[in-house]
Amino acid sequence: MVIDFKKTGVKGKVTFSTFGCNVFQESPATPDKIRPDVVIERAVHTDGRWNTPDGKRVRYWGFADPLSPIAADRVAPYPSPLIRVRQGQVVHTKLKSKKNAHTIHHHGIEPTTFNDGVGHVSFEVQTEYSYQWQPAHPGTFFYHCHRNTVLHFEMGMFGMLIVDPPEGPGTLYSGGPTYQVERIWVADDVDPRWHIPNEHDAGLCGEDAGLNRFEPKYFLISGVFNNKTMLDSRVAVEAKLGDRILIRLLNASYSILRLTLGVDALLVSVDGRQLGAEPWNSPKLFPAGSRIELTTASRFDLLITPTQRGVFGVKFEFLHWITGKVQADGAGIAQTRIIVK
Amino acid sequence: MERRKFLKYGCAAAVAMPAASWPWAALAREVESEQDRSELHISIEPVDAEMIDGQIVYMLLFFSEDGKPRPVLRVREGDEIRIEISNNDTAPHGFAIPGIPAATSELIDPGDRREVRFTAPVGGSYLFFDPTKAPLNRILGLHGALIVEPRLGTTPAGSPTPFSRASQTPALQALFDALGTAPRFPGQKWKPGDPAREKIWVFSQTDPTLNARVASGQSVDPASIMSSFLPRYFHINGLSGFDTAVHNGTASEGIEAAEAIMPEGKQGQPTLLRTMNAGLSTHSPHIHGNHVMELSENIANGAIDVRKNILEVDVWRLSPLARKDMLLPFERPPDIPAAKWPPKEEPFPLRYVMHCHTEMSQTAGGGNYPQGLVTHWEMTAPIE
Repeated sequence: MVIDFKKTGVKGKVTFSTFGCNVFQESPATPDKIRPDVVIERAVHTDGRWNTPDGKRVRYWGFADPLSPIAADRVAPYPSPLIRVRQGQVVHTKLKSKKNAHTIHHHGIEPTTFNDGVGHVSFEVQTEYSYQWQPAHPGTFFYHCHRNTVLHFEMGMFGMLIVDPPEGPGTLYSGGPTYQVERIWVADDVDPRWHIPNEHDAGLCGEDAGLNRFEPKYFLISGVFNNKTMLDSRVAVEAKLGDRILIRLLNASYSILRLTLGVDALLVSVDGRQLGAEPWNSPKLFPAGSRIELTTASRFDLLITPTQRGVFGVKFEFLHWITGKVQADGAGIAQTRIIVK
Repeated sequence: MERRKFLKYGCAAAVAMPAASWPWAALAREVESEQDRSELHISIEPVDAEMIDGQIVYMLLFFSEDGKPRPVLRVREGDEIRIEISNNDTAPHGFAIPGIPAATSELIDPGDRREVRFTAPVGGSYLFFDPTKAPLNRILGLHGALIVEPRLGTTPAGSPTPFSRASQTPALQALFDALGTAPRFPGQKWKPGDPAREKIWVFSQTDPTLNARVASGQSVDPASIMSSFLPRYFHINGLSGFDTAVHNGTASEGIEAAEAIMPEGKQGQPTLLRTMNAGLSTHSPHIHGNHVMELSENIANGAIDVRKNILEVDVWRLSPLARKDMLLPFERPPDIPAAKWPPKEEPFPLRYVMHCHTEMSQTAGGGNYPQGLVTHWEMTAPIE
């Protein structure tokens, strides 16, 4: 199929209109396409409903995985299902939009412009597109919709993306340390007012949709509301003495995330880049009780090697981007624990 | 949305100002042949500024002597600097540069002028602003970048860096020595003094309600600002969204201003990003296409701390008044399939956005994504 780059931001005329209100929307073939090692499918869903701790129903959107053996992942998962591939694999992520255009940006993955999923410099996916990429670095990434991102990311259109070394899960990077227990901690905050109008294009063409005012009321870790994070096995960690625990932490909230751990943690990778791979950096120790702060979209990989049995507290605080105060008048906190037996 | 149709900045002051084209030229003038003194003159002016969605907002800005808003001051380490500040506003103002205590002025009455004299400190990026009624006058627009070029910026191995030799760390030296040398970085070393290889991004936010209160003569309690601050416009060097980059060879607010923001170059042309936050919101600049190296940050007293542990990140935290120098390596985007580098069907330039991931900053007037704190960079060609 011939690709007409003039119908996209790549060769088309970029105007004030194509930049925001009237972005390029196409379903082109993938340029420079080669045979993939892995094919991943993601289909847009807009039908999610949370039952919030205060008894409300709040709508969310996301990406479902039509190929998943897990039924819930084929319908309306939150966060969107994990993409997990290995370093060096050629990957095609096939996005199927629904009635409106969306994109997938593999955050921290650095492919060509056409495969980067940003509409105003390339195109948004009208019906279907296969993003091509070949991860060069093992580590923790994520993916999200990049249309009207301020809203679509908040609405839940994101999932984790892990690149394992060729050895597979259990090893941080080739020749690097192994880990026996792994937890993904995705911190998110929800302003339910943003989830009511459900306008796919809210604000895009000039109207004041209030998207500069974010007042989160709900706080989740890895899809679990903060009233359940202490015990839920998606968040709480159980390990045996001698295990190495790998925490993959993403701040998917619009707050500054402050993590406090009751146990020492070694920062081994940031934003999908291993520390110590180059002479200009090295792993960093956070002694128990340190305040570990992540700005929005940051990922920290923390390696924990407990030296004694016990129960160690974990606190997540969501801080306001202007005042620095804990969100929701101090309620923007989630807690869990690490049990070492 | 209707595109605005008139001049971006009009001057609200009685003083007639020339129509503003954007200034990014260095202002320092050498007044002696020994090149050891610099004289700079700037003024404080009220303006009516047009936001990206056409709204007109009252602001206070620094202007250069030749009438251009938001001047970048550029000096050389060790030089004796004299900055004269004229206050053409109707309220008193001040001047300070964190990290350079001697650069603090006395209060400047309306219509008056004051000067500060100091010896330019070690090389790096500094932020000057009006510290009176903090943070009010700073977020009304009275801020700008001061760049100090190092006297001796090379590493012992001879690689140019933006930092003085004495403040360099082994990590910094290892990184700049690797450019153009290590297999990962084929191409060039970083080039000092080349505007293409150095971009200054001063971030700020505007809450028009606050500006309107000041414009109407209301007294604003500075201590009340943080809790009520609701920014509606987000800027890089005063520009937002579409205006921050070159599109199809043109730029809506002048090619010079857009080129000063948008990095452009071939693979192997590493570019310094001097990022600073003059506002009140914490930003999370995220860059596509390459990870960047976090080279330095200001510490509590405003001095520059060159990192001993230089992380490679795709997003960095920029708190209010933070200044971080980042290196955009212009390396081959690593996740393009190796068998397809350089791409054949997809044309150059490869174009990658930079935007703040605290996404409220991507709006203008409550919507209009992505007409906020965003730009992009372009890789024009691979290394032959």
